[in-house]
Amino acid sequence: MIILVISVTSFAVCGQGQTKSTMKIINNSAKVAEDDSPTFVSVTVKLAEGFLRTLELFGLTLLFAIPLGLIFSLLSMTKGVKYIMRVFIWIIRGTPLMLQLIIIYYGPGLIVKWAERNEVSNFMIDFLGKLNSMGAMTFAVIAFVINYSCYFSEIFRGGIESIPQGQKEAGQVLGLTKSQIFFRITLIQVVKRIVPPMSNEIITLVKDTSLARIITVYEIIFLGQKFIKLNGIIWPLFYTGVFYLAFSGLLTLIFGFIEKKLDYIKC
Amino acid sequence: MKKILAVMLCLAMVLCMVACGAENKTTDTQDTEKQSDTTDEATKNDETVKDYDNVIKNGKLVIGITEYEPMNYMENGKWTGFDTEFAEAVCEMLGVTAEFREIEWENKYIELESGTIDCIWNGMTLCDETYENASCSDPYVINAQVVVMDKDKVDSYNDTESMKELTFAVESGSAGQEAGTACGFDVVEYTAQSDAMMAVKSGKADACIIDITMANAMTGEGTSYEDLAVSFAITEEEYGIAFRKNSDLTEIVNGFMKELINDGTLIKLAEKYNLTLYK
Repeated sequence: MIILVISVTSFAVCGQGQTKSTMKIINNSAKVAEDDSPTFVSVTVKLAEGFLRTLELFGLTLLFAIPLGLIFSLLSMTKGVKYIMRVFIWIIRGTPLMLQLIIIYYGPGLIVKWAERNEVSNFMIDFLGKLNSMGAMTFAVIAFVINYSCYFSEIFRGGIESIPQGQKEAGQVLGLTKSQIFFRITLIQVVKRIVPPMSNEIITLVKDTSLARIITVYEIIFLGQKFIKLNGIIWPLFYTGVFYLAFSGLLTLIFGFIEKKLDYIKC
Repeated sequence: MKKILAVMLCLAMVLCMVACGAENKTTDTQDTEKQSDTTDEATKNDETVKDYDNVIKNGKLVIGITEYEPMNYMENGKWTGFDTEFAEAVCEMLGVTAEFREIEWENKYIELESGTIDCIWNGMTLCDETYENASCSDPYVINAQVVVMDKDKVDSYNDTESMKELTFAVESGSAGQEAGTACGFDVVEYTAQSDAMMAVKSGKADACIIDITMANAMTGEGTSYEDLAVSFAITEEEYGIAFRKNSDLTEIVNGFMKELINDGTLIKLAEKYNLTLYK
């Protein structure tokens, strides 16, 4: 065991020597060297700052995507708009979130600029112009909410359709209104059934927020990569994983707790 | 089983240490050898240093480099890169072989003066320091950070002072960001230079600061960025080759360089490695 440790450290020392010398060369030729090398504490503080942005995006997305997802799921079960909704869900689920972010972030500006050149102006262009001056976080939230609403809506639809038709009929016999049946009978059971798939999506969301860095939301991965670019140190990027792990661990505990609390519903 | 594992790990450790140590040793002995046979050479220094005859006599040109993409770098155990291929072409014209020697960049002039290397050919920026310490060739490649903005706005901004009211998109951690911050500009960081260009195109930023090579490739007719134009360079550097002071090789290589430009060899190389030739 001891030998193993020694050999590993000797490898590590050797490796370090080599990276240091190559680093020197890079610094020499690029002549960019930061004087203040980051410490563990300063890196942690900086990354925590970035993780706050991650949490902000995560929180806002959940806040808007859950209600919107419910609306989407109801629309996708309503005659008339059903097919429009399903095509929309197909488009959103069928394209990468990264592409959606790029389109939502740059799209309005590109249209406005095009309109300026071709001297087109109407209320739509004005609206897009106003939208274009918003911060990057707004665009990120819009893109994430639309994307996640579509995934959530399918989970909700599955949940709602899994409730036996007979319960609805029983409600009608008892003289309950349609909304009473939905909120008091159906939804309460749906909530219990969808906790596992929802926890899946929500934990995926935690990690997907890292995509927002491409539209200048300076979240934790962006800052981690910056340490590589400016200081030539790699470990802060790997260290970001600890933040994600800790947070998703917390979420897992919360979902476990919720599932336990909902145990009283038998269905 | 455990014992065998332990022995193997032990061996690995020893091997690793030996490998690490050995590398330095060989270079050390090489250094002293080379230094000793060049000290007598240095004593007969005249006005012009007759490097050419020496190089021809030795049958090789010793080129001091550091690993620096895309100029000189290792690929499959062999040196490659713009400067590598360029130097090999020149050596072919000289009728000698090119020998690449990795040097400590800080000691480059000492190595040059002591004769352990014949030239420094490694994407070297020509500046006062280089001219003072060595005899420099004509510049062959330029690298610049340029401002790209709307075509019709270019004329209204002629200096960095007037540009201070604009917002700039830059790649995070790039030379462009450094140049922009040095000018006191308001910069927004993007993950890539291409994203910075898109930011200008969509009006997220007024202008961006990117590499000249990239700017030239991305703007102009037939691109999606026809309405953008390159304004001017904020920072500009020229790359050249450094020879020993008063060396006669400088003029000879300058001549070869002109030939290589005229016959298109360098233009092809520049395209291959995505560099901009000095004009």
